[in-house]
Amino acid sequence: MASLPPRRWAALALLGVAALLPLVVRDAFVLDSLILILMWGALSAAWNVAGGYAGQVSLGHAAFFGIGAYSAALMTARFHQSPWLGLLLGVVLSIAAGGVIGYLSNRLRGPYFALSTIAFSQVLLIVASRWRGFTAGSEGIPVPFRPGLWTLGLGHVAWVYVALVVALVYYGVQVWLETSRIGYQLAGVREDEDAAEALGIASRRLKIRAVTLSAAMTAVGGTFWAQYVGFVDPFYVFSIDLSIRFALNTIIGGMGTALGPFLGSILITSLETYLRATFSGLKTGFAGIYLVIYGTALILVVRFAPEGLTGVAGRLGAWRARADA
Amino acid sequence: MDPARRLGRAQIDVFAQLGVSTVLLGGIYALIAVGLTLIFGIMRVVNFAHGEFLMLGMYTAFWAYSLWSLDPYFVLFISIPLFFGLGVLTYVLVMRGVIHASHNVQIFTTVGLSIALQNVALVVWTGDFRTLRPWHASVVIRVFGTAFNLSQVVAFVIAVALTLALFAFMKWTHTGRVMRATAQDHDAATLMGIDTDRVYRLTFAIGIACVGAAGVLVSPLYAVYPTAGLQFVLLAYVVVVLGGLGDMVGAMLGSLIVAAVEVLGSYVFGVAWKEVFYFVLFIAVLVFRPAGLFGQRGAETLGV
Repeated sequence: MASLPPRRWAALALLGVAALLPLVVRDAFVLDSLILILMWGALSAAWNVAGGYAGQVSLGHAAFFGIGAYSAALMTARFHQSPWLGLLLGVVLSIAAGGVIGYLSNRLRGPYFALSTIAFSQVLLIVASRWRGFTAGSEGIPVPFRPGLWTLGLGHVAWVYVALVVALVYYGVQVWLETSRIGYQLAGVREDEDAAEALGIASRRLKIRAVTLSAAMTAVGGTFWAQYVGFVDPFYVFSIDLSIRFALNTIIGGMGTALGPFLGSILITSLETYLRATFSGLKTGFAGIYLVIYGTALILVVRFAPEGLTGVAGRLGAWRARADA
Repeated sequence: MDPARRLGRAQIDVFAQLGVSTVLLGGIYALIAVGLTLIFGIMRVVNFAHGEFLMLGMYTAFWAYSLWSLDPYFVLFISIPLFFGLGVLTYVLVMRGVIHASHNVQIFTTVGLSIALQNVALVVWTGDFRTLRPWHASVVIRVFGTAFNLSQVVAFVIAVALTLALFAFMKWTHTGRVMRATAQDHDAATLMGIDTDRVYRLTFAIGIACVGAAGVLVSPLYAVYPTAGLQFVLLAYVVVVLGGLGDMVGAMLGSLIVAAVEVLGSYVFGVAWKEVFYFVLFIAVLVFRPAGLFGQRGAETLGV
């Protein structure tokens, strides 16, 4: 255990705090913020698998989120089945969709790939918002609340632990991607695909797998989010804003690092909650002020600290170590 | 007239109307897309904030009309230098630092710019839908059984004139040649003594001036709100990819194709589904001919 790098200790400490918090604090607002931080962190970690580790920057991950959210919402509201079956369906559908996007990632690079993912999520948005007979169209679907774990009708404290388990598993997947053979191969493909190919790495298959894994993880997150929030609105779950949120958390925290998405989520989700609470009484439009800050922060971070918070922390650590020596 | 012939006549009218609508719409899309494709072609940057400049153009027209009752066509003369200046400012403050950075940095810089501008508009002007109705928006012209309003026609004529002017500028002026040289080979252009930073600044400013003008032109036809740019810019991406990123003639043809898909799609399947068609077309083009319908093969895998 002593050989664990400081990052892992930081992650364990953060998750420990999250696990203990519900035992001490019972305030619904604090618990809600904690759940959202964990959920957005986990979803950003899912994006990170494709965007950070495989280098396939998607601006359409809301597509998978929406697939997960709709699968569970339709399963419960329309077919009166357990949301867990919806989760399963969401994973199956998103694997199929992820396969398509993964295939595209082999044909398109850089901005072309980002554009194709936007188009993909927009197609799903249009289908979900116009297919009134099945998805209830733009009105959205209220998710019925039935108490119990099988129906995912849980209280705040239970949701903290559900979100925590998801966050832990996703953190684990990322650590695996950093330390396993496949993870190193993926890093090779990300840094120089031609060189990786020359070394005998099956780069195409690897990219498809990474994007598909990321898609499935995002769909699971979407299912839990829909069950927690209790309402699925097509213009939110398939929105470009949502896709950007996953990317934003990860970039601010540090792309291609296991801790990054969670750090970004802590910073951005709490900033959002705070500013929303502060400005909500003033003027309707003022709620947008945190997005102005996001946008500006994004420009500044990619320009001056493209490796994100974890990278900055790493640099500071190295600087201090040098100063000590 | 016997019923069959009357039906035939009605059919011809419908097709004439669809054709005219396509051309009118296509002209405006071309002006939006041409700025995007110019910036891409020369700077190799996809400007994800393009739609937000369109939205700012629409707001400029809206406020000039409601505060000082200035007609959008008059505002156009002010907006072009104004947005040119805005383009220069954005280039110097935001784009200059990332012009040689990786794709991801460029994508997220312009995405960040888009989020910031959209929400500045939301904070300052709220999310209300606003419309402006100058007199020409309610003048209907009827020719050969087709009907369209005056604003549409004027917007089309000005958009086409501006697009052609830009095209001529790129083709026949010295500056245009310098810009094309920079697009072809940045390093060689630098060796020939071209100040590429100036070229990029000019390119970005022209691109923004075009989309700002487009915003002013469409303001009498569409509602103005902070995310108004999104629907147009998604369309502009489709146009630009169809025509081949960086290809100006391609962008004009692409605009007509997208407008035709939109007009026919809404006629046959209803307005609600029209967007599906151009996104499906978009994905199909990306998969089968990613360099555009008329472009060279291979551009997309180089990630240019």
